[in-house]
Amino acid sequence: MNGFRSFRALAVNEVRASVRNRTALIFTLGLAVLFMIIFGLLFGGNGLSVTFDAVNNDHTAESASYLKALGDVSGVTVDSKSHTAAFADLKSDSVTAILVIPKGFGAAVLRTGPAQQVAIYQAGGGSSSTAIADDVVAQVTAGFAGGGHASVTLGAPQAAEVNQVTEMDYMLPSMIAYIILFSGVNYVAIGLVEKRVTQVLRRFRATPVRSSTILAAQVVGGGLIVLLQILVLVAVGVWVFGAKNYGSWLLLIPPIVLGTASFVGIGFLITSVTRTSEAARALAAMITFPLMFLSGLFFPISSLPTVVQDIARILPLAWASDALHQVMNDGAGFSAIGTDCLVMAAWAVVTISVAAWRFRWD
Amino acid sequence: MIHAEPMPAAVRLRGEMADIDVTGLVKRYGDVVAVDGLSFSVQKGEVFGMLGPNGAGKTTTLEIIEGLRTPDAGTVQVLGTDVLAHPGTVKERIGVQLQATALPPFTKVREAVQLFAALYQRSRPVAEVIEEFNLEEKADVYTDKLSGGQMQRLSIALALINDPDLVFLDEPTTGLDPQARLNIWTVIEGIRGRGKTVVLTTHYMEEAERLCNRVAVVERGRIVALDPPRRLIAEHAPGTTVEFANVPGLDVETLRKVPGVERVVADGRVSITTRTPETVLHTLLDPSAPWAPAEAGGGEGEGAIRDLMVRHGTLEDVFLSLTGRSLRE
Repeated sequence: MNGFRSFRALAVNEVRASVRNRTALIFTLGLAVLFMIIFGLLFGGNGLSVTFDAVNNDHTAESASYLKALGDVSGVTVDSKSHTAAFADLKSDSVTAILVIPKGFGAAVLRTGPAQQVAIYQAGGGSSSTAIADDVVAQVTAGFAGGGHASVTLGAPQAAEVNQVTEMDYMLPSMIAYIILFSGVNYVAIGLVEKRVTQVLRRFRATPVRSSTILAAQVVGGGLIVLLQILVLVAVGVWVFGAKNYGSWLLLIPPIVLGTASFVGIGFLITSVTRTSEAARALAAMITFPLMFLSGLFFPISSLPTVVQDIARILPLAWASDALHQVMNDGAGFSAIGTDCLVMAAWAVVTISVAAWRFRWD
Repeated sequence: MIHAEPMPAAVRLRGEMADIDVTGLVKRYGDVVAVDGLSFSVQKGEVFGMLGPNGAGKTTTLEIIEGLRTPDAGTVQVLGTDVLAHPGTVKERIGVQLQATALPPFTKVREAVQLFAALYQRSRPVAEVIEEFNLEEKADVYTDKLSGGQMQRLSIALALINDPDLVFLDEPTTGLDPQARLNIWTVIEGIRGRGKTVVLTTHYMEEAERLCNRVAVVERGRIVALDPPRRLIAEHAPGTTVEFANVPGLDVETLRKVPGVERVVADGRVSITTRTPETVLHTLLDPSAPWAPAEAGGGEGEGAIRDLMVRHGTLEDVFLSLTGRSLRE
């Protein structure tokens, strides 16, 4: 059998056809770039701009230097306020978030008392800047705890290690997730159902090529299209919009591959319950659009109502988005995104198995 | 359960094996029996036609032989190989044109030919095939921009890319204009000229009469007749057909009693089968004939006969005589 030659020819044809399909490209890559432009203009500038009200219940030198470290991050402003005044500010939207330093914070830092947690409060309808605020505080706090020997003081170098995550930095992984979602569903799964409806699959099956080769070519061809789009998006994001990746580029591969696989699986499920490509498209839109808004692409999941959060956290896009943001914005290592990858892999295995079992050639 | 007889060993030893041998083929879709116990063979080098209305089971039969569908019962030997056991081996050596022209989207003509060439172990040079089917000018055009006739030529070219011994053409000229149809007929005659075996389905009589060595008349999943077109006509539609436009009030019963009339079928047109057309015509054209409708008989010298046509029997008549139905109803 000349399986590889057939596979290569089918996959090449798939990639070439997808690149030529302008309408579909505009819908995925085009919209992703557009979203970056819109968010870039709306929340513009490269600088981070967040304001905190700090409610300091500790009043020790440690808590004061903690707040100073935070305030030293460029673009971050910290004002000490009373509890009531701080929440009034939050309500009137004049601050991004409120930090509450618990009593005993200083003792905790000095390891003379039990561990304490800094609480952060944000307004309900959060934006991506609140997510950035989360990141900044998380990192300053982590740095603070990490240097938690009595002799260590919190100086400027620690604050400088903070990734100044801009809107663009946040949007880039979001849009990678967006491309994974829409391409996985549209190029691979709906592409396949279209070939089924138009009898292209049947025509291929009248040749000696194996069924598994046809499917593999469709999936690999679709996967290459996803990668190609991500490469273009990252190039535009980095060189045109100045977005930064604080993590490893290589570490983006697991969430991209597993995320794509899980959306391909979901796409296959959609096509196994729909007869026509129009119906498949409609159902795909009904699933993908809410998914997009529920999964931390434009604003953090934590700003959603609890019930919605619970639902969002079941779906694979939230995990893909989380992994991509952690790597690119926080410079996280593989251990930090292990759970994300496991969940996506589970989604991929389950959906693709069910789809394979339910698959129809005509 | 139908148990098909294997081909007798003697036939195989003589090397006279048919290109296709189908025995007791049955295919059901739920309660519908699409193919109802078909058996036939196709000899090497012959053009074998399957004639019948839509839904007669032609396409299903073809797709089973091509290895695209699994029958509920029966055996299929193609080029000496059991299709059900070794579909891959058979597919390597046959060429298939499906009824719907199905090519991947955003693909140009040359690319489509290259793609299909890559799907076979052995294939003819792409440029040669494009030239043979007069597609050079369209080689860099997207396939969905082709006209119906060009598309069909490409579709047949793809069926021949692996230089198959046996070619299946499912309704190769349906939906084409007369010019394009004639063009495709020339193409098929060319394939026949190179000694390839061709199986084609059609519901065009002229096509079957012109191209086929033998024609199987298929109705409701059964073969009701199988012979060369001329013999089918001689057996099932002998004599001459006299046809004219039907008029309201025409008395068909009296018409049947006219001397020499063998059969009368009246719908949109009245069609009379006879072996003595002269006598029948004479009676028909008599303005005082008793079968004529009242209003037409009362006209000034005008008979009831309009649009008169006298012709010899065709496969259309064969089908009508075998099934009592018109092919295109």
